[in-house]
Amino acid sequence: MTTGFTQQTLEAISAGEPSWLKSQRLSAWKTFEKLPLPTRRDLEWQRFDIGALKLDKVSLSADEPTIHERLSPLSAELGRKGVIFCDMATAVAKHADVLKEHLGRSIAADEPAKFSALHAALWRNGAFLYVPSNLRIEQPLEVVYEFSGQNTAGFPHTLVVVEPGAEATLVQKFVGGPRVGTNGAPSIHASGTEVFVREGGHLHYISEQNFSPNVYDFTLKRARVDRDAEIDWVLGMFGASFQRYDVQCIMEGEGGTSFMYGVGVLDHHQQFGQFTRQHHRTGNTTSDLLFKNVLRDTAISNYAGVIKVEKNANGTNAYQANRNLVLSKEVRCDTRPILEIESNQLRCTHGATVGQLEEQQLFYLRSRGLTPELARDVLIEAFLDPVLARIQVESVQQEFARLVHEKVVRKA
Amino acid sequence: MLRPYQQRARAMGATSPEPVLRGAYKEGFHDDIRAIHKVPKGPSHEVIDYMCDVKGEPAWMRAFRHRSLDIFLKHDLPAWMPGLRDIDYDAITYYASPVEKSARRWEDVPAEIRRTYDKLGIAKEEQKLLGGLGAQIDSEMAYHNIQESLAKKGVVFLSCDDGLKEYPEIFQEHFAKSVPPEDNKLAALNSAFWSGGSFVYIPKGVKCDIPLSVYFRINAEQFGQFERTLIVCDDDTFCHYVEGCSAPVYTTNSLHSAVVEIFVKDRARCRYTTIQNWSTDVYNLVTKRAYLYKNAIMEWVDGNLGSKRTVKYPSCYMVGEGAHGEILSLASADKGMWQDAGAKLVFHAPNCTGRINSKSISGHGGRASYRGLVQVNEQARNCRVQVNCDALILDPVSRSDTYPVMEIDGDLATVEHEASVSNISEEQLFYLMSRGVKKEDAVSMIVNGFIEPIVKELPMEFAVEINRLINLQMEGSVG
Repeated sequence: MTTGFTQQTLEAISAGEPSWLKSQRLSAWKTFEKLPLPTRRDLEWQRFDIGALKLDKVSLSADEPTIHERLSPLSAELGRKGVIFCDMATAVAKHADVLKEHLGRSIAADEPAKFSALHAALWRNGAFLYVPSNLRIEQPLEVVYEFSGQNTAGFPHTLVVVEPGAEATLVQKFVGGPRVGTNGAPSIHASGTEVFVREGGHLHYISEQNFSPNVYDFTLKRARVDRDAEIDWVLGMFGASFQRYDVQCIMEGEGGTSFMYGVGVLDHHQQFGQFTRQHHRTGNTTSDLLFKNVLRDTAISNYAGVIKVEKNANGTNAYQANRNLVLSKEVRCDTRPILEIESNQLRCTHGATVGQLEEQQLFYLRSRGLTPELARDVLIEAFLDPVLARIQVESVQQEFARLVHEKVVRKA
Repeated sequence: MLRPYQQRARAMGATSPEPVLRGAYKEGFHDDIRAIHKVPKGPSHEVIDYMCDVKGEPAWMRAFRHRSLDIFLKHDLPAWMPGLRDIDYDAITYYASPVEKSARRWEDVPAEIRRTYDKLGIAKEEQKLLGGLGAQIDSEMAYHNIQESLAKKGVVFLSCDDGLKEYPEIFQEHFAKSVPPEDNKLAALNSAFWSGGSFVYIPKGVKCDIPLSVYFRINAEQFGQFERTLIVCDDDTFCHYVEGCSAPVYTTNSLHSAVVEIFVKDRARCRYTTIQNWSTDVYNLVTKRAYLYKNAIMEWVDGNLGSKRTVKYPSCYMVGEGAHGEILSLASADKGMWQDAGAKLVFHAPNCTGRINSKSISGHGGRASYRGLVQVNEQARNCRVQVNCDALILDPVSRSDTYPVMEIDGDLATVEHEASVSNISEEQLFYLMSRGVKKEDAVSMIVNGFIEPIVKELPMEFAVEINRLINLQMEGSVG
C-alpha cells in the first residue's frame, strides 16, 4: 500500500527531539505500516463510504506546518503560580520531563488502530496545559487549531495535566480545512488529546469541530480520571465530510466522575462515527454520557458506545444515552450501545433512540401561530438544548447555539 | 450435612460430577439405548448418503444436503461469535437413531426409550393437556401424535421427515426459504445433517388452541442433534408450539444445532415457546426465524437455562404490512455457561411494530450476553420498535454484556432501546428481611419478581419448572 506519508517526514519532524520521543514515534510508525487500511468488512466501518480516502494522494512535508495553533494568552500571575499553557514545540523544548511522564500513555504507540498510530507517529503542533496542585483557574483557556494547505494532513496533539486539587477550563476549537485539491482527494486530520486529572482535580473540557467539507477527521480523546477527580466534556461535531470520534474516559481512582455530552448536526453527505468508551477500572466511580445527533439530507451516523466495568469495580454507576433525531428519509442512523460488565455491585443502564419530530408537538406550536418551519426549528433546538446547556462558558455556548442554528435553519 | 437440593439430587440418582450446582440438574442421567443406525464420526458426504438412503429421501433433498455440507466446510464462523473455536466437529457423531420410525401410539415406542421419557416426566398422561406431543431421541422422532379433534380440523403435526414424505408441496414451498444454508455456517451444518424436528401445518382459519409440544433428548455421547422444524400457519390461524430439551451429563461435548423456520401468513398468530435446559456439555447453536405476512403476529418466548454455550437469536422478519413481532427472552447463566441469547427484528414492510423484552441472570461465574439487532429498511415506514434488556448479576465472578445493534434507514421509524445491569439491591433485601423473610428466600423472591414478566407468559407447567430451576440456581448464592 502506498501512502503519502514517509519515514523521512517522521525523521524531519522529530529532528531535535529527545530520543525517547523519537523512538515512541518510530514504534507507532511501525504499527501504522503494519496495519491495513480499514475496509467495509470491519464492523466499525461497514456503514461508511470511505472510498474517497486515498492515502497516496495526500502528502505531508516537514517544512510547511499545516496546523497553526492560537493559544489564549496566559496572565503573568498564573505563569508565576506555575501554570504552563504553551504550544507543543515549546513544551518539548522546555518541559520534556513532564511530557515524558504522560505523552503516549493513553494514545499508545502499539494501539492496533491505523489512524491512532498515524497520529502517534507524525503528530506535530498542539498545546500543553499544566495546572499545578490546588490552583483553580477561573478564566477559560482556549486553543484554536487552524488547518490549512491542500491534499495534506494535520496531526495536532494536546496534552492536559491537572494536578491534585486543581481546576481549569479548556476550550479546543478545530477549524479551517483546505479546499478540494486538484486531484480531488480529501485532506486528513487526526488529532489526539490526552488528559490526566489527578486526585481531586477538575477539568471542564469543551471541544468544537467545525472543519470545512472535504476533511476526513479522526479524533482521539482519552482522559484518565484519578481518585475523587472529575471531568466534564462537551463535544460539538459540526463540520468535515467524514468524522471518526473516539472518546474514552478511564476511571482509575475511587470517587472519580466523568460527564460526557456530545452534540452532532449532520447534513448533506456527512458521515460521523462516534465511538465512546466508559472504562471503569476501579469501583465507586461514576460516568454519564449523552450524545445527541440531528440528521438530515443523506447523512450517515454510526454511534457505538461501550461501558466496560472490570472485575471488582464495585459501586460503579454508569449511564449512557444516544438520542437521534432523523429529519429525512434518506438518512442512515445506526446505534450500538454496549455493556460489558464483570462486577456485580453496580448500576449500569443505557438507552438509545431513533425518532423523528412529533406531529403533536408540531401541531401544538403551529396552533400557537408559528409557521411550520419555525415550529420545526424550535423543536430541533429544544432537542439539542440539554447538551448545549452543559457548556459553562457563555461565549462558547452562544457559538454552539449559532452553529446549530445555522445548520438547522439552512433552507433546503 | 447435605443441602436440600443435594438431597433431592441424590434421591433422583443424578450422576453429576458437580454436585454443588448441576446436582440440581435432574435430567443429567443417561440410559443405555441401543442405536439401530449409527455412522462414523465427523461431517462427511458419505454420512449424508447413508442418511438419505435410510430415510428414503427424494433426490432434491440429497443434492441440497450435499450442497449445504460444501457451504459448511467453506465458511467460517463470524468473528464476533467467540468461544466456539474449541468445537471439534470431527469428534461428533452426526446421525444416530435408536428407532426405525416415529410411532403414533405411545405403546409402540420401544420400552427403553419410554423409560427415559417416563423419568423425564413426559408420560402419556401429559398428552391430555396437549394438542399434540412429539418426542425426539438423538436423531429421530420416537413418537409423534396429535389429538383426534385437531387432526379432524386438518392440523398437521408430524416429524419433519414425515412432513417431507406426506406433504411434499407445502414442504418444498417453505423449506429453507427463510434460513437458506448460505445464511450462516451453523445453518449450513443443520441443512446438511438435519433429522427429526416437527412439521406443522395449520390450514386456513383453524385455531389450534391447545399447545403442540415436542421434547428433544440427546442420549448419545459426543453427538450432534440437528432437528429441523418447519411451521406454516396459513391465513387467520393460531398455533402455540412448545419445545423442551435435556441431555445427560458427560465430560465430552455434544452439539445441538437446530433450524426453526416459521411462516405466519396473513392475520395469523403463532407463539413458539422454548425451555432450553441442556446439560453443561452441550453447545446449543440455533437459528430461529419467522416470516410475518400481512397483519401477522409472531411471539417467541425463549427461556435458556442450560447448555455450555447458547448462541440463539430468535428473529422476526416483517415482510407484510402491519405485522407485529415480539420476543421475550429469559436467560440464566450458571457456572460453566455462556448464554449468548438475544433477538432480531427486521422490518421490510410499513406500519409494523416490534418489541423485545430480555431478562438475564448470571451467577456462579456464568456469563449472560444479550445480542440483538433492530434493522429498519427504507420501505418500512411508520414502524415502531421498543427494546428492553435487564440483567441481574448475582456475584462478583459472573459477567453480563449487552450488544444491541440498531440500523435505521429513513425517517419514519421510532426505535427505542433501554438496558440496565444491576445487582440485587441492598434496600430491597433489607426491606424483605425486616419483614422476617430469610435472606435466601428474599433473594429468591426478588429474582422471581425480576423474571416474572416473562415467566407469566409461559404455560403453567413450564412456569412452575422455571421457578424451580431458578430457585435451584439461586441456592448457595447467598453467602
